Amino acid sequence: MSSYVIEASGLSKSFGSTTALAGVDLSVRTGESLAIMGASGSGKTTLLHCLAGITAPDTGTVGFRSGAGAVVVTGLSERERSRLRREAFGFVFQQGLLIPELTAIENVALALMLNGMPRPAAEGYARGWLAALGLAGMEERRIGQLSGGQAQRVAIARAQVTGASVVFADEPTGALDSHTSAEVMTALLDSTTGQGRTLVVVTHDAEVAARCSRIVDMRDGRIVGERLRRSPEAEVTA
Amino acid sequence: MIARVAWLLARPGSGGIAPTVLPVVAFGVVTALLAIVAGGAQTFFTWNDDTALIYQVLAVIALVLLVVPLVSLGGAAARLSARRRDDRLATLRLLGATPATVRTLAVLEASVLAFVGAVAGVLASLAVAPAIGLIHFRGEALGTSAVVLPWYVLVAAPFAVAALAAASAVLGLRQVVISPLGVRTRQDAPRLHWVRVLVGVGVVALAYGITSAIGVAQAAILLVTMLALAFGGTLAVLNLVGPWVLRLVATAQARRAKTPARLLAARSVLESPKAAWRQVGGVAMTSFMAVFAGVGVGLLDAAGTGGDAESQLLLEDIRTGILITVVGSFLMVACSVGVNQAAATLDRADLYRSLDMLGMPITTMDAARRRAVMSPLLLTSVGSAVIAAVVLLPLTGIALIIAPLSLVTVAAVLAAGVGIVWLGLVVTRPVLARAAAPAVG
Repeated sequence: MSSYVIEASGLSKSFGSTTALAGVDLSVRTGESLAIMGASGSGKTTLLHCLAGITAPDTGTVGFRSGAGAVVVTGLSERERSRLRREAFGFVFQQGLLIPELTAIENVALALMLNGMPRPAAEGYARGWLAALGLAGMEERRIGQLSGGQAQRVAIARAQVTGASVVFADEPTGALDSHTSAEVMTALLDSTTGQGRTLVVVTHDAEVAARCSRIVDMRDGRIVGERLRRSPEAEVTA
Repeated sequence: MIARVAWLLARPGSGGIAPTVLPVVAFGVVTALLAIVAGGAQTFFTWNDDTALIYQVLAVIALVLLVVPLVSLGGAAARLSARRRDDRLATLRLLGATPATVRTLAVLEASVLAFVGAVAGVLASLAVAPAIGLIHFRGEALGTSAVVLPWYVLVAAPFAVAALAAASAVLGLRQVVISPLGVRTRQDAPRLHWVRVLVGVGVVALAYGITSAIGVAQAAILLVTMLALAFGGTLAVLNLVGPWVLRLVATAQARRAKTPARLLAARSVLESPKAAWRQVGGVAMTSFMAVFAGVGVGLLDAAGTGGDAESQLLLEDIRTGILITVVGSFLMVACSVGVNQAAATLDRADLYRSLDMLGMPITTMDAARRRAVMSPLLLTSVGSAVIAAVVLLPLTGIALIIAPLSLVTVAAVLAAGVGIVWLGLVVTRPVLARAAAPAVG
């Protein structure tokens, strides 16, 4: 049995005359933290969108394996991909992109309510995750009443509360200062790989990438390098 | 310089052509409705007989009822205009343009869109004039020539509407912050105090006093002034108490909400009860008056008070006037809702995109925004209608028994009005679907 949770092969994607991905092969191991690095326009966010089933690639396949079995993400309909994202994946974005009119606990519980869980139970789980991320007592605050770091931890709780086996984070610390950024990365790693889950991070921040177990570098829609954190000398070039 | 920049910016943005077309359509409908109503009303002012004054007063009331949603619509169109230029206006600020320059651009654009829409509206009013001319008042068709406004009014109308849009834009932009980092609606939703209710009760009592004393008014001008005072007072009360009631109901709804759509809708209203009210408040007075007049007309009709032909015709004409005013009022609210929804959706495009990524179905997002409008609308229209029915309780009961058709007609027209607003929401769904689609890049 493969230890890969996501396997992508031959991914290509163009937007008009712009090639975002040009034949990308990438496997994500279960329980690892993978950083996808690259300059702006290198195709890293498009790759994340294809891996997470947000965007359908022009060619190539993405497979996802979980305890429930294996699915070919690229073979699913739009509706099925939405359901997969809702139930199996979690997302953290640069600005948090939380719903401003909802309270912290409602933002987190919403992810479970979308899967049909009754509100009282959903808020119970949400409360637990917020407390685990150091936000006990702030459940009823609205997003505008939280600091950037606190809001990002609410976003992490939202990504985790459904029990997502893979969390995708797109520049999760992009809007934070270095101190808060380190705190948020710690919270993100502890709540994912720290619990046997998988984390895929898109970042241009070398310090953020350095905290992941594996780093792939992208340029012009291709993977041009791969590094393992614990053995930086083992750098390979694709 | 401003004109040249405005021309450069007059290209479709990321939201497609909907944000441009919506305000134009909205102003077109508003102008057409105003031209039609004013055209119809001018006929009454050519009459000099005994009942002419009643027709003239009723026409003025109908016009006042239609002006309230019109002003709200103007502000909504202006806000949409600023928002659809979001990044471009912010970039101009970044390049050193002063807030005044950027505001002038936004106001200029709103005015131009209003002018274009108003021209289309004038043409539309001319196109439907033959149909409007078929409406019967005093037992005979008004006639096409009677309902068409004088040519100089029709020529001046687009300029007047554009000026009104500019004024609304200036007011509307007070709620929008155009900084170098983007355009956002000011997030200030002050808590609404219950003292509003006390003030409201006081004003209603005063209005009641005025209407009770209306019999002493001998001169027509005094009668109209007293009516306007009572009317304006009640409108002011509705504006004072309406947001407070919406907040109260939305708070309870947010607490009880079991589904994501219900929770999002209730929280969306709580974000700014005043904004929710602005959108639908126009129908409050219309619903109130529709029931009030419907009961009165029904009773008079059934009691045979209008034994003579002239009185019978008057009752019939009042019923016609109610229907026209209610439908017109709801049509304006529908336009206002359409424009507001397009603006709100564009403003929150990033959020909708992220919710789509999280796997939230578009149907859930759509249900949430629909509920956020329909819930206050139903509360406002049905609530006002029920209050009117309660105020007239014994009479409402009698009317229901001896003249049910009159009340059923009013209820059906109110239901049709709610349906028109619902349609306004449906037509803006493509804007939501486009906003939620993954960004290219």
